[in-house]
Amino acid sequence: MNRKRLVPLLMMLIATLFTTGCWDKTELNEMAIVSAVGLDRNKEGKLVGTFQIINPGNVAGALQGGGGTNPPISIYRATGDNVLELDSLASTKISRDMYFAHANLVVIGEELAKEEGLNDIFDAFERSPEFRATTRIVIARGVKARDIVETLTAIDKVSAEKVIKTIETTEKTQGKNISINLQEVIKNLLSTGKEPIISGFTVKGNTGKEDSMENTMSSDIEANPNAVGIGVFKDGKLIDWLDGDKAIGSMWVLDRIESTNLNLDWEGKKDAITYQVIRQKTNVGAKLVNGKPKISIKVRAEGDIREVNVPLNLTDTHVLIDLEKKLAKDVKKEMEVAIVRAQKNKSDIFGFGELMHESHPKEWKKLEKNWDDDTFPKLEVDVQVETFIRRTGLRNKPFLSNLKKKDQ
Amino acid sequence: MASFFKQKRQVKQREKKKEDTGQSKSKTPDYIDSSISANLEKVKKKTGNSPDIIIRTLKIGQNPEIKTTILYVQGLIDNPSVTDFLIESIMKNPHLSEKILPQEALDVISEEVVSLGGVETVKDWEKLFLSLLSGDSIIFVDGINIALVASTKGGERRSIQEPSTHLTVRGSREGFTESNATNIAMLRRIINSPNLWIESMKIGTVTKTDVSIMYINGIVKEGIVEEVKKRLNRINIDSILESGYIEQLIEDQVMTPFPTLNHTERPDMVAGNLLEGRVAIFVNGTPFVLVAPAIFVQFFQSVEDYYNRFDIASATRFLRIIVFIISIVGPALYVAATTFHQEMIPTKLLVIVAAQRETVPLPAVVEALLMEMTFEILREASLRMPKAVGSTMSIVGALVIGQAAVQAGIVSPAMVIIVSITAIASFATPSYSIAISARIVRFGFIICAGTLGFYGMILAFIVLIVHLCSLRSLGVPYMTPLAPLNPEGLGDTFFRRPMWAFKERPKFLANENNLIREGDNQRPLPPESRGMKTSDEKKGEGNES
Repeated sequence: MNRKRLVPLLMMLIATLFTTGCWDKTELNEMAIVSAVGLDRNKEGKLVGTFQIINPGNVAGALQGGGGTNPPISIYRATGDNVLELDSLASTKISRDMYFAHANLVVIGEELAKEEGLNDIFDAFERSPEFRATTRIVIARGVKARDIVETLTAIDKVSAEKVIKTIETTEKTQGKNISINLQEVIKNLLSTGKEPIISGFTVKGNTGKEDSMENTMSSDIEANPNAVGIGVFKDGKLIDWLDGDKAIGSMWVLDRIESTNLNLDWEGKKDAITYQVIRQKTNVGAKLVNGKPKISIKVRAEGDIREVNVPLNLTDTHVLIDLEKKLAKDVKKEMEVAIVRAQKNKSDIFGFGELMHESHPKEWKKLEKNWDDDTFPKLEVDVQVETFIRRTGLRNKPFLSNLKKKDQ
Repeated sequence: MASFFKQKRQVKQREKKKEDTGQSKSKTPDYIDSSISANLEKVKKKTGNSPDIIIRTLKIGQNPEIKTTILYVQGLIDNPSVTDFLIESIMKNPHLSEKILPQEALDVISEEVVSLGGVETVKDWEKLFLSLLSGDSIIFVDGINIALVASTKGGERRSIQEPSTHLTVRGSREGFTESNATNIAMLRRIINSPNLWIESMKIGTVTKTDVSIMYINGIVKEGIVEEVKKRLNRINIDSILESGYIEQLIEDQVMTPFPTLNHTERPDMVAGNLLEGRVAIFVNGTPFVLVAPAIFVQFFQSVEDYYNRFDIASATRFLRIIVFIISIVGPALYVAATTFHQEMIPTKLLVIVAAQRETVPLPAVVEALLMEMTFEILREASLRMPKAVGSTMSIVGALVIGQAAVQAGIVSPAMVIIVSITAIASFATPSYSIAISARIVRFGFIICAGTLGFYGMILAFIVLIVHLCSLRSLGVPYMTPLAPLNPEGLGDTFFRRPMWAFKERPKFLANENNLIREGDNQRPLPPESRGMKTSDEKKGEGNES
């Protein structure tokens, strides 16, 4: 190409760069960073949205403002028929553009989850290019979603962050909760062979004051969001809550236990020995025996003895083998209870159906129709647990055994 | 467009005319007159009777006495050689106090009297003035139309000092001086080979600057020296005051922010480059020696890389590349991320940045450009300021930018951090010339990032890389050995291979018939016995022998 044509062409190309203006540019101080979204249902059956917006200047750690006296978050509410309407209604109250890319938490009110279900809510979240597929979902248990979104918290200034971290930590250390994101929930809603489970969250304490700064002024926080149990869904609707052992049992089956404590009774003393699981593996297999589906679960867990409140000689291998057997029995019991509960709910939260689909795709077509209502509740599940004690902590015999000797 | 071609033609015609006049001048040289007074008159006339040209008239011989004149330029000559070996010798020589003919006198002076290294005869004025003004002494003898030129170059010069650029911890402390002769001698001291060849020429119609090309015969690629000479001979300019003049007149590509010729103040760096097959161009009057051809990765190499062990050298090179990239894209990345791609910043970081930007009235792009400009102003001011004011400068700069601007809420502290990191990064690049290029390119990147975000930055990157690949230095592609790929050459780019594995000179620079620079099996090994010989073993060895 000669210079005669090249120069005007280049100039035109450069001109296009400037005529576009600043393509989708938003300055940081032109946007409202939404950290959490709460969805409730009011008496008229309308959707009530609560948007938690970060007030950057008041989050401690930032240079200006200092934080402390002013709340680090601001709440905006809107009532409408669908999620997008909520967004546009809330926008009329905020001077800035709502930015959802950092909304890491969606709280769904228990009432909404029970009565209307999740199916009508999630499309807007999934469709939006701003919203993350990794946004965590929790159910507000016993309270409104807005109560959780509104609550001011102390250590993590932004309560959305506190909620997410709490779920993650309890899942990791206790196995009592499940940290589940938007993408997983939608995937499970779609699957015929698996139902979603979502962690529950509540606010305990003086629930009238959770949205004022006074809440965080005291060292003993008056209203504090807590993780409680796991919500079980069927056909997109909340039907049951799993707590304590049942929650842990479900997590064992789901192979999502990272670490948990097992309490063992010993010679009549309740919860005398505590065993901490440090790693485990659950293998679930699906079989067809005489045309009937059968599930076999094999668990291998490894852990340490962390507390012994009975005089017990831990140096003795036989004692340890005994302990291992008892532990395995306990775990098995936990799991079986969880499975029975799920079968009673007719909700395949463990994904046994999905497993059947994977291993026997042809037969699944027949099984699929009646899976939830007929096959799953009557499913034969075989649980095998093997536990192993890796360490017994820094001492061998508990000091209690020395005390006993003195008494003699 | 037609007018453009016309212009070109006119320029060509003008050039032709110039050549014609130049040739006609050289065809009829101006010869020296036999009369001393006429000659002196001519010198005075030509130099405008400048007082630093000293004319010393002596009388030699007897019956008749012959007038002899010594001409030299004050300050350019070495005083002892002129007074002791020239004037004193002529005055006290017994042969010259006898009866002597003018013709003989000249021979006697050149052969017996003047005890200096170089004595030549000169007939035409042009050569005479060149010698005179470069520090030689001229001897006229009355009645003879030949002058003697005695080499008495000297005078005050800066001594050899530590170079002020390309500083190293390890390595030679010598830096080039302003004198070509000294500089060339420094190279001779490092490379004791007769193959170290030097060619000299005078460039500049007024300054007549001494320019020397140096290369190692046998190692330099065929054609490169010819190319350099061709380009140097093409130069037709009144003055060459620094090697930068030459650089700008012989480089391959004019429209580029990147340097296509390297320059250095370090003799060891020049020696290393010569041994890789490059050509050095020495220009009198500057300590900066040009080295050509230059490749992009060369600007990230320091001589110290070769003095340190290879792992350390490779790590530092890697760091320099990272630093270079930071110095180009640092502020652009911040602008793009905070104005277009907020989702890419972790929530907590975003909150902190957002809190800082809360009070800032300007868009991030403007803020970035403003701060970068302020930094450039500061840098430029502190470079040119007298040293006494320099400290005031830095205090005011630090206070204004670091403190007041942030406290006033005009700029955000995050931006100050970004600009400071970028500033430090741009100073951490070993070559000053590529650091300047990075600074210019950086502004382009900020604008692209501010208008189109990461997309714009990627576009700018593509343009940058394509541009870099299009460059050449004396015909050698600028991005070799990366593009075109030269796998063997990669051993001295971002990674420097161990010294014992440096078998060959770079193929794209050195003569292909003479690539081997190192013998086989150069890898050092511990002694087989590890020096733990027992007395039994020693005995055994003895028995065997």
